[in-house]
Parts: sequence; structure tokens; C-alpha cells
Amino acid sequence: MMALCVVAAGIGLAWLALILGALVYKGTAGLSFAVFTEMTPPPGEAGGLLNAIAGSLLMTIIAVVVGTPIGVLAGTYMAEYGRFSRITTVVRFINDILLSAPSIIIGLFVYELMVRPMGHFSAIAGAVALAILVIPVVVRTTEDMLNLVPNALREAGAAIGAPRWVVIRSVAYRAALSGIVTGILLAIARISGETAPLLFTALNNQFWSSNINAPMASLPVTIFQFALSPYEEWQQLAWTGALIITLTVLGLSILARSLTGRREDR
Amino acid sequence: MTIASDAMPSSAAARARDATVRRFALTDAIFRGLTRASAILVLVILGGVAISLFAGSWQALSSFGFSFLTTESWNPVTEKFGALAPIYGTLVTAAIAILIAVPIGIGIAIFLTELCPRPLRRPIGIAVELLAGIPSIIYGIWGLFVFAPFLQTTIQPFIINIFHGVPGLSSLFAGPPYGIGLLTSALILAIMVLPFITSITKDVFDTVPAVLKESAYGIGCTTWEVTRRVVIPYTRIGIMGGVMLGLGRALGETMAVTFVIGNAHRISASLFAPGTTISATIANEFTEADGDLYTSSLVALGLILFVITFLILAAARYMLMRIDARTGA
Amino acid sequence: MTQMLSPDMTMTETVTEKTKIEVKNLNFYYGQSKALKDISLSLPERSVTAFIGPSGCGKSTLLRVFNRIYELYPKQTAEGQVLLDGKNILDRSQDLNLLRTKIGMVFQKPTPFPMSIYENIAFGVRLYENLGKSEMDGRVEQALKRAALWSEVKDKLNASGLSLSGGQQQRLCIARTVAVKPEVILLDEPASALDPLSTAKIEELIDELQADYTIVIVTHNMQQAARVSRQTAFMYLGELVEFDRTEKIFTSPREKRTQDYITGRFG
Repeated sequence: MMALCVVAAGIGLAWLALILGALVYKGTAGLSFAVFTEMTPPPGEAGGLLNAIAGSLLMTIIAVVVGTPIGVLAGTYMAEYGRFSRITTVVRFINDILLSAPSIIIGLFVYELMVRPMGHFSAIAGAVALAILVIPVVVRTTEDMLNLVPNALREAGAAIGAPRWVVIRSVAYRAALSGIVTGILLAIARISGETAPLLFTALNNQFWSSNINAPMASLPVTIFQFALSPYEEWQQLAWTGALIITLTVLGLSILARSLTGRREDR
Repeated sequence: MTIASDAMPSSAAARARDATVRRFALTDAIFRGLTRASAILVLVILGGVAISLFAGSWQALSSFGFSFLTTESWNPVTEKFGALAPIYGTLVTAAIAILIAVPIGIGIAIFLTELCPRPLRRPIGIAVELLAGIPSIIYGIWGLFVFAPFLQTTIQPFIINIFHGVPGLSSLFAGPPYGIGLLTSALILAIMVLPFITSITKDVFDTVPAVLKESAYGIGCTTWEVTRRVVIPYTRIGIMGGVMLGLGRALGETMAVTFVIGNAHRISASLFAPGTTISATIANEFTEADGDLYTSSLVALGLILFVITFLILAAARYMLMRIDARTGA
Repeated sequence: MTQMLSPDMTMTETVTEKTKIEVKNLNFYYGQSKALKDISLSLPERSVTAFIGPSGCGKSTLLRVFNRIYELYPKQTAEGQVLLDGKNILDRSQDLNLLRTKIGMVFQKPTPFPMSIYENIAFGVRLYENLGKSEMDGRVEQALKRAALWSEVKDKLNASGLSLSGGQQQRLCIARTVAVKPEVILLDEPASALDPLSTAKIEELIDELQADYTIVIVTHNMQQAARVSRQTAFMYLGELVEFDRTEKIFTSPREKRTQDYITGRFG
């Protein structure tokens, strides 16, 4: 019976290794300087992914800038002011559901919320959709990390006459900093590969655009479009883009892990 | 006023202190309000999702009524829409994926907690967790370019030949071999949720108190007996929670499926036939949908997916909360 | 201000001294369960008072009422009066933060903030006082000297407070408390997590500090109570059993329960 477990582990890990192997093999074949310096090409021509990468970066930054403060504040309420309140229990439950809700649903929500009233697709709608995906991740880690801060530290802060928010800002946040940063990194890792919520919010754009009120290219949506096309150049770019995303996500995850790893070793 | 210590504040200093006290009371109230509002925003978002999906799908639901759920046809030209085929595809692919991924996932978790040589445990455990974070579009593109052609040229013809003429199975695995289809999607989903289920199962296995396992080993139990009689019973609820969470993911997954499902709005007996899922339909058709009823029908699909996953995830969280409560106590 | 300082009945010999804190008919509840039962006592100014008693007797609870730190948690309530210089601190209109600047507290385990040694001390001072750089430097130095820590840390003020040893951390916490110039210092088993040498240093420090501060110390160590305090309260099961001059408590207590406890027959 235990032999079966070893076999299962072997199959599972080999399978995953196979996928990563194919990704690296196919992705590196198209990796060149031009990928980072040229725009997405029309069908049948060579080009790069510059506008898609830039679009992804811009929307990710907006999403993090919007989503992180909300997530941190909400997590703060749950672990500090509202630690014993009923709202916290409800918010935690709902947040956990939001955390694993299908991202395409979030895309539909933002479509109804922004795209339909505005009458057109836009980068800002895409960024809002991503921000909604950032929030639950940050809420969860912030609450968890603040709960790890010993109460004795909060008491000590209160005991010298510091008001609650100063204790939170100067003592609790500081003690939980690396954990909270980890949460933010994980959130970035999560949204950097998200495709579904961008399909009908930011849409796509074959050209360079820095107008957040207009459709904008993103790496995942470009991969989606290019991979399903019959053109070899596009398919190659899709593989290369997939490799770039995977390396980014893995890099962020490893960075996040090394931040918390240090805490656990203590 | 009685002032005792050596810090004899002058009245000016006392006034300044009072001003500080008032400022702190105000800033604290503001900060508290901000955090509370943010927490409530989380509820508002989920409420907003529910309301907007309901509002967006109203037109479709009111034109088709209950038959929306039971109609197979999906015809943009005549504007007759039914959700049965995508619902079927969603449930079938997710169910097959879970059936494959759960035993393998639990197997890997057992391997990692009980069998794996100690120096390898952490690296493999970390690798599994990192894989759980890989975007689903990667699995999709691999499925499209590597896995589907492989199935089409080797596995599928082989299976079709084997079961040819066997009652039941022959229609379940009927040709022609497209490569893409329900089974391919299910297999990709299985690979995708595998790291996820493994890492949750491993986490709940780690909650088993060492003393419990040690005492079982102490009376001469084998590794398998300890796992079977101690670890799995102790973590049953947690494993169920992890499985449900994986199921929630499989049901709502878009990109891994959209590439390889074939996007055909029909229900076929054969698992090799192209089909569709709720999320794949929305992803493929939403931006091209012309006509309000078409769009509304797609949003209605989203609403159905939302309701299904909400129930599954709520059940999953409830189960995981119970195991948390036990280890917390 | 309607409350007048009332003469203390329970103390036998210290009536001449000014009362700093007076507790009147104090009851305390954790949810439904009553943790303090009708406590009344008066603490004289600029002296050390010790609370002793077995675990769960309510001595820490009583201490935590004095700066209302218990209010960080739900379902903990106090009834009765605690007068600081005649003013009831349990009054709802009492600002908590202001109260805690007057009544400082040091905890069982050292709790340095996750910041530098300098900042650990300046943090509290900066809250209510607007000091220039040199003034603040002076205040930090003075506080560290007061806590007998200056000579050990003066060359590494920018090092993290967490880098210090346990005993040093606890003295840092005392310095931090002293720096905001409180009137009363509450010590909740301040040496229970420390080695004997560090404990001796802390006790020495308490002895010096009582010249300027009213000090209340909770301890499960009877020798410590005998060494550092001038008066001692013995508590048992939420009641104040006996309160008197320390040498009286330890040599000829009135109550049989006190006698049993200090001779080690229970607890």
C-alpha cells in the first residue's frame, strides 16, 4: 500500500516536471532581446511582447496600490479592533470564500460594475478586477500575521499611554512586517498570471497604450490570444510569455518564502 | 490638582497634553473607522458580486425561466439559450479531475509526511507548494500544444480500440480522437489541482500530534497501519475540506480548460467528445456576444457557477474551520 | 472633585503618609465569574507595596485594574472605585491613554518593542511631549541611567532592543516606563523570567525607584516581597486576606491563612 504512495508521488511529481520541462524547452526557444523591446506583431510577423509586459506591469501596480491598503486595513480590523467581534467571524468566512472564488466571476462583476456603465473596456477596469483578487490574499495574511504578534507587546504599548492606532502602527505592524510583505508578494504572484478577469475588463490591445481609460494589452491575455491562433510566430511568443510569467511567479513565491522562512528559523 | 512626581507640568504643558489627548482620541477613531470600513468592504464586494450577477442575468432568467437550467441548445442566431451543456461539462470535468487528483494528492502527502527521506521532505514540500501557485494558463497552453496532440495520436486511438464493442464503455470512449475534449480537460484540471490538494492534505497531516503517532508505532503498528488507523481518521474533516477546496477550484477554473475543451454546446456520451464548461463558455464568447440577451445568458451562467462554488467553498471552509478549532484548543 | 482622601483603616502604622491609590469595594469579573471580591485598600505614596498569594488569587488582576489594561479584552469588567489622588480612574470620562502615562507598567516577560534601544524609550516620550534632539537624547540617557542600563548600552543605542539579554530587556522596559515620568509604576512579576543575578539587579532598582515613584509589585516569590516591599497584601481566592507592613505580614500575621501561606503550607 505504501508502495502505491511512492508511485503516486513519482507520477505526480514527474507529471509536473514534464510540464515545466516543456515550458522551459519551448519558451527559451523564442527568448530573445526583441521580446522585451518590440511590440506584439501582426499575424505572421516577428515581434515582441513589450506592450503586453508593460500593460501587465501597470495594471498590477495599480491593483496592488489600490488593493493592498484595503486588505491591510481590513486585516488590521480583524486582528486588532475587532478581534472579538462578530463581524470579524463573518468577514473571515466571506474573505476565505472570496479567496478561492473563480476569478472569471470577478471579471463578470467588474464588467457589470465598470465596463457596462462606462461603455468601453479599460485598463482601469482590469486593474480593479485584479485589486479585488489582491484584497482577500492580503486580508488573510495580515490577519494571520498580526495574530502572531504577542498580546504582551500590545499591552506594553498601551501601558505607556500610546493610543491603539499608534500601538498598531509602531509596534504590531513592525513586528508583523515581513509576514505582511509576504502576503503582498503572494498576492502579486497570484494576479500576475490571471487571465480570466482581464478578458472582458482590460480586453487587449495590439499597440502600445498608456491610457488607463482604454483597452490595454496584458501578458496573460496576449498568451491566450496568440496560443489559440494558427500563426507560428504568435504561438512561439505565447510560449515565451508563459515562461516569463512562470519565472516571475516562481521568483515572487521564493522571495516571499525566504522572508517568512527567516522568521520561522528563529 | 494634586501632582505628585518630579514631572511638574506647567499649565501650558498641561494644556498641550490635553490637546494631544483629544487629537489621539480623534485619530484613533478615524483609524478604527477606516479599518472597520475596509473589513466591511470585503462583505460589500461579495454582496456586490452576487447582486451584479443577479441583475446582469435577470433578462435571461426572466425570458427562459427554469428551462434555462434544463435546455441543452445554445443558439446565438435564434437567441435560444440553455445552460445544461456547460453545467454538465463543468460538473463532469471537475468530478473526474477530483477522482484522479485526490488519491494521488493524498498519496503524495502520505509520502511526504511518513515515507520520504527527511532531507528531501522540505525541498519536495516547497516544490509542491510553488507548483500550486503556477498560473492556470500555463497548464492550458501545455494541454493545447503538448498533451492534446499526444492523446490524439497515441492514447485515444488505443483506448477506442480496446473498448470497441464493450457495452457502455464503448460509448463512453467513442471516437473520433480529437485530442481535445472533456477527458483532456479533466486530466489537465487534475494536474492543476494536484499540488493544491497535496499541500492542504500535507498541512492537515502535520496537525496530527506526534505523540499519537508515536504511541501507535510504539505498539508495533506499521507505517500503513498508522496512516490508515490514526492519521487519516484524525484528519478526515480536514482532508474533506481540502478536497472541497480543490473541487471549488476545478469547477471555476477557466484558462486550463478553455484551451482544450473544444467549446461545443452539446452533451455527448463520449468523454473524448468536445464539450464546454461554464467558465470556458464565458471566456470564449463574452466579448463576441452581440445582443443583450446573449450577454445576459452568459452572465446567468456566471451566476450559476457562483452559486455552485459558493456552496462548495462554504462547506470546505466550514470543515477546515472545524479542524483549526481543534488544533487551536 | 467631591472625593476627599479618607484615612486608611487597614494599615496600622502608616496613617501619616499620603495615600496615592485608594481602592474601595472593588469587584472584578471575567465574564460571569468573579475574580476580585470586594477589595479595599490604600497604597501610600513613594513606597513599594507587594501583592502576594497563590496562582489565581487575583493579585495580577488587581494590578491590571490600576491602569485599566484589562479593557483591551472583552467581557472583563470592574465595579467599585479606584482613586488616584482622590479621582476615580474607573470613571468612564477618564481618558485611558492619559491614565496610562501616569501609571506605568512592566510585565512578566520583557516586552521590548521591535525597534532600536533608543527608539524604545523615545517612542513613549514623543507621544505627549515635543522635545528637541538634544533634550530627547538627555531624556533617553537619564531613563537608561535610572534603570541602571546606561553603561551597558550607551555605545549601541541604535541596536535592536531585541538584541539585549533577558535581564537587560527587562531593565529597558523599566527605563521606557520611567522615561514618560509616571507617578505610579506597576510591576507584574517583573523578575519571574530572569536569572538570579538579573533579579537582584531589578530588586536593587526597585529599591532606588521608590524615592520618586509609588510602586506596586506582584510576585509569587515571598522572599522577593519581603526584600523589596514596605507593605504587603496577601490575597487568596479573589479576596484580600491581610494587608499590613511587610515585616508584620512575614513575622506575625493576624490571619491563619496568611501564616499558612508564608510558611509554605499551601500555595
